[in-house]
Amino acid sequence: MSAGTTAETKTENHQNGKPPGRRRLSRRHREWLAASLFVFPDTLGLLVFVGIPMVLALAMGLFNVSGFGGITFVGLANYERMLSDSLFLESLKVTVIYVVSFVVGNFVISLALALLVKQKIPFVGVLRSMFFLPYVVSLVVIGLVWKFMLLDQVGIVNRILEALGLGSHSWLGNPRFALATVVAVSIWFLMGYYMVIFLAGLQEIPQEYYDAAKVDGARSWQTFRHITWPLLKPTSFFVLIVSTISGVAGFQTFDLIYVMTTGGPANSTSLGIFYIYQQAFQFNDYGYAAAMASFLVLILLIATAAMFILTRGGRFETD
Amino acid sequence: MKSKERVARQEQANEGRGVTRQQFLARGASFALAAVVTGSGLTVLSGCGGNGGGSGGSASGPLTFWQFYGPGGQVKSQSKWFEDTVKAWNKENKTQVKLQYVSNKEYINGSKLQTAFSSGQGPDIFLISPGDFLRYYNGGVLEDLSQYMSKEAQNDFYPSVMATRTVDGKIYGLPMEVEPMAMYYSVKAFEKAGLSESDIPRSWEQLLEVAGKLKTKKMFGVEFETNPGYYQNFTWYPFMWQGGADAVTADGKKSDFNSKGAIQALKLWQDAVKMGVAPRTVQGTGGGDIVANLGSGYCAIQNCGIWGVAALREGAPKFKYGVFRLPIPPGGTYRTILGGWAFVANAKGKNPEEAAKFCVWALGSMSQDSIRRGVDWIAKAKSDIAPRKSVLKQATREGAYSSGPMKVFKEDIFPGGRGEPRYTPEVYKAVSDALQACQLSGADPKQQAEQAAQQINAFLKGYSGAKMV
Repeated sequence: MSAGTTAETKTENHQNGKPPGRRRLSRRHREWLAASLFVFPDTLGLLVFVGIPMVLALAMGLFNVSGFGGITFVGLANYERMLSDSLFLESLKVTVIYVVSFVVGNFVISLALALLVKQKIPFVGVLRSMFFLPYVVSLVVIGLVWKFMLLDQVGIVNRILEALGLGSHSWLGNPRFALATVVAVSIWFLMGYYMVIFLAGLQEIPQEYYDAAKVDGARSWQTFRHITWPLLKPTSFFVLIVSTISGVAGFQTFDLIYVMTTGGPANSTSLGIFYIYQQAFQFNDYGYAAAMASFLVLILLIATAAMFILTRGGRFETD
Repeated sequence: MKSKERVARQEQANEGRGVTRQQFLARGASFALAAVVTGSGLTVLSGCGGNGGGSGGSASGPLTFWQFYGPGGQVKSQSKWFEDTVKAWNKENKTQVKLQYVSNKEYINGSKLQTAFSSGQGPDIFLISPGDFLRYYNGGVLEDLSQYMSKEAQNDFYPSVMATRTVDGKIYGLPMEVEPMAMYYSVKAFEKAGLSESDIPRSWEQLLEVAGKLKTKKMFGVEFETNPGYYQNFTWYPFMWQGGADAVTADGKKSDFNSKGAIQALKLWQDAVKMGVAPRTVQGTGGGDIVANLGSGYCAIQNCGIWGVAALREGAPKFKYGVFRLPIPPGGTYRTILGGWAFVANAKGKNPEEAAKFCVWALGSMSQDSIRRGVDWIAKAKSDIAPRKSVLKQATREGAYSSGPMKVFKEDIFPGGRGEPRYTPEVYKAVSDALQACQLSGADPKQQAEQAAQQINAFLKGYSGAKMV
């Protein structure tokens, strides 16, 4: 822009009653600025407390770090060790079993609960609160209470089973049942939370569709199949992604395993994240733990990307 | 299908609202993906390992002393002993000491202490067991205490107790106690099963047989620790030693874990579970919690240390029980393990010299106060064997071992003791995995012992830290 043109613009602005040198931003730019200002503190926090440490941790995987100041560069040795570490590979297997059963079980149960509490039935508010209640209790407390209830022979669960003639089992002490028990407790803890998310999704679906379906003579299953299910896809996708991440990263499970099984019996509940924790904080092998954590994140990224692609980001069929 | 049109209409309805629900959820999933990186431990790990384990905070201020006997704990006299000790030191010295309580589970099996060192916030004084000694010694954070001790005081400690706290003749930890493992039994359960003192098992075979007689629908016959961890290994080692085996040979060069002694000990714990006389899970804080297990009637016999006497005295004063030494295998030699915690000073703390002097003043001087403190801990606050000759002599004179279970511990159980071994985490993990696999997963003891021995041998080839004892 030439000097002459700038001078003309300023004069024009002045004549319009606007202060010279200020140019009014368009609505779109103002919104963008406001949004940026709102997001800035969080982005900064994410960068400082997540981004930078993440890069440092990735780098740590290339070193031998003792936890007492000893740091030696080892290149890819930690990654090589990881691939031949039978316990790590076993923990990945446990993680896969856990994640698949948790994600599927959690999805089905929380969706079923959401469908139930969407109905106009008596005391629906009480029901919703009851299902959500476990989620507001500390996970450590949840773990301790379940551990107590699941005790061998004398725990309340076994007593009930005995009374029903089903015999008692060691739910947390037998490798055959321990992981399934942890999955069940995890679902019980989280189902209320995901139920609320599904409920929000269900309530977004306009009632007119159901009314029209009713007029057309659609049955319950047809209504679910052709109205609820497709319109719930974005919510379902959200639940799938978040619960998968939660399962792999052990957001809630770590606490439960720490309290209920300590990774046992016989490493049967030792998820990848728990094994990483042990290597870092019990065996002082931070470099190795960082390498395994990086690998786990990579797997998670691939799994999530695959889900994005397969479900087309949870979009509607018309997209 | 008409639903497609409906969906399209729904989308149109959403237009103009800014972000649609669909977009919101898709973006939410993306944010969640970003957040996972935090939870995957990457960010947590990055904060560790760079500071050399020094004590953080200001260079001045009181010395911090981490321990796990908190106020209002199971036995009040124990936390009071710590408070009185620190109070007495603070009264006499310019450098002040401040107690910090860390919960028992977190201290023994958790990460708090280790994480504190990794982030440069390690305490100036802390408690340590032989099982964890090498981790901190090899990390270079233990101060040599012998330079502040008289020769007389050094010789006052039993050599077997000091072996796991000494490297190249230098003392790095001062034990507060000696805690042998034994078997406790419920008198009531014995009577109900028609058993008497003469039925107390002396051999492994008898142990399983008696446990079978004691087992009821609500009570297990015998209980061993089932939670994986340092404590479980600790309780199992004497069974291995009784058959002459060891995780690492005396010269520290190879593993003896694939020998008969280890295999039969793995099998004993496996058989107890397989026969249904021992539980797969334990109550309370674990197999060392005698009030929650034996005291509550969960089991009739429990494998527990000498601290159980004080715990039952405080937590179940009316409970009738007896103690007997660990049964032995055919052709075996009696052995028990001598556990116990020690005071150590942080060599990279804010004032290692004063921290070391505190440890020596509290437990390792020949002054009457120091000896008195030792007696009060092992005889009043707890129920332990003394780690020092002078303390044992005075406690005996005061009647600490004159009757009951303490007499049995001192005269019958303690004499066959061997100090808790100090192994690195790699050795511990190999043993722990074998033990867990056999006890709870029904794995073949021979194969598991072989596998663990190979793992230990592979590790020992590259090991260069202090000698394992």
